[in-house]
Amino acid sequence: MKVLVFMKQVADTEARIIISSDQKSLEVENKYVVNFFDEFAVEEAIRIKEMLKDVEITVCAFAPQRAVEALRTTIAMGADRAFLINSTDREADDPLIVSRVLAGFARKEGFDIVLCGRQAMDDESANVGPMVAEFLGIPHVSQVTKLTITGGGKAEVESEIEGGKRTSEVSLPALFTCQKGLNEPRVPLITGVMRAMKTQIDVLDPASIEMPFGPIDREASKITVLSYEAPAGRPSVRIMEGASPEEKVQNLVRALKDEAKVL
Amino acid sequence: MTRDVLVVVECKDAKPRKASLELLSIGREMASRFSSTLLAVVSGSGLKDAADTVAHYAGKTIFVDNPSLAEYGWDTCGSVLENILRKYDPMVVLGTSSVTGKDLFPRIAARLSAAMVSDAVGIDLTGEGMKIKKPLYGGKVISWLAPKADSKAIVTFRPNSFTVADAGEKGEIIEEAVAVDGNPAMRILSSEKKTSGKVDLQEADFIICGGRGMKAAENFAMLDEIADLMGGRTGASRTVIDSKWREYDDQIGKSGKTVSPKLYIGCALSGALHHIMGMDTSRVIVAINKDPNAPIFQYADYGIVDDVFAVLPALKDELKKTREET
Repeated sequence: MKVLVFMKQVADTEARIIISSDQKSLEVENKYVVNFFDEFAVEEAIRIKEMLKDVEITVCAFAPQRAVEALRTTIAMGADRAFLINSTDREADDPLIVSRVLAGFARKEGFDIVLCGRQAMDDESANVGPMVAEFLGIPHVSQVTKLTITGGGKAEVESEIEGGKRTSEVSLPALFTCQKGLNEPRVPLITGVMRAMKTQIDVLDPASIEMPFGPIDREASKITVLSYEAPAGRPSVRIMEGASPEEKVQNLVRALKDEAKVL
Repeated sequence: MTRDVLVVVECKDAKPRKASLELLSIGREMASRFSSTLLAVVSGSGLKDAADTVAHYAGKTIFVDNPSLAEYGWDTCGSVLENILRKYDPMVVLGTSSVTGKDLFPRIAARLSAAMVSDAVGIDLTGEGMKIKKPLYGGKVISWLAPKADSKAIVTFRPNSFTVADAGEKGEIIEEAVAVDGNPAMRILSSEKKTSGKVDLQEADFIICGGRGMKAAENFAMLDEIADLMGGRTGASRTVIDSKWREYDDQIGKSGKTVSPKLYIGCALSGALHHIMGMDTSRVIVAINKDPNAPIFQYADYGIVDDVFAVLPALKDELKKTREET
């Protein structure tokens, strides 16, 4: 069985982001990690392999060169192979283009299961999973919290839906986006780290992969980024005065009612 | 392609969600700017009353009633939406950045080669076309995006991005008998809805959120009482979820839900960055913490420095009074 995992390397929560003076570009402090939700995807792939044995796990990212580091982390966790599709000088603001590239890779590699995180921590868009599934013409389930390969080419899947949970049966091949609660991602062991250091991570040019799902050149982007700006700051906090908790609360509720007008 | 604006309405308990009414309100404004018609799609089973409500916002409400749409599925609901979008061919499609919206719209965008902007929080209609406001990096940066002019655009917004306008004159309701196409590879075995009757965390106007300083699961009962009193919801920080005091569904923050209620009250939580990223867009933020140096105070509008267990009973009483006055 072939399991593909799509991984995005994202800026760490603590990373500083600087907006250029012309507001046209961003400079991200060099602190990158594997996207939080993609860790669940890698872990789940490893668990499927531990369960079914004859499984090959391939991780792929459409990213600039720096993401090789994050791909190595997934090898250290237990993935078998990793590929970087170089996005340098390519459009990455339009999710359709990212999805066409990843779908092209999946088509070339072949797969039974595709896993990815439910969304990326940087843009929180949650587009790529369902888009790739659409291009590949396979079913998908979002926000999966339990995945069981049941045999006969099927999987039983628990997922989050609006205000609840759902269990579905899905015929493979299929794509699943992974939600927190699916598993506990492992911390790589030293042996895994050693192996990751030695593993060759191939860097592919998107032009070398046949992509029949639509254009991937920059001109094909349907999204224009106009500008970036810092969020509007809040005035500094007003600490409520009062001799007792009761008095402080009275002052607070009065302020919320009369000033802020939210009560 | 027409210049029409189309809102995909989501319903809960057979009523349009507040988030959808917000979209209908901004959609009406957009359509008037584009000198076009606001269309709305209400599809499902037994949603006649919802369609009537929606018709007071939209020029044309496209109503699809089919028992096989009772349960949401990207395959079934998606096939209906695809048909409608092909037939009515609007320039802009507005949807909610909800669990359902995130599941459905990217697939439709890929199918129709439409520009997709997800999880936006605002729109600027003052210039040519439209500028869409979307936070990045947990709100550290605001980006302004525009779909290419010649392309159909699908834009999803977080709940609480716009105010709900008053209902207007009733528009036309068009019943469409669209064939529902399920994907044979998908079969729903069972569904379980837990929070039915309660407002969703992301849609709530009022959120009271507990942190590690709440000390135990049972102490959240105090927060639940206040949330119920205010018709809102209780949230929790990551440490609370990791301690299993509350379910993951309640988690506010980078790895949980992003919320922007009118009033957010953080109780006994320090204000770790990943939590702040999930609530920073709230209109008014109140922090209650006995530590005056807790980072949460840097992000709050109002603060009470005191023991949360002494503050909460008083807060409940005072809020109750204001509720009774109105």
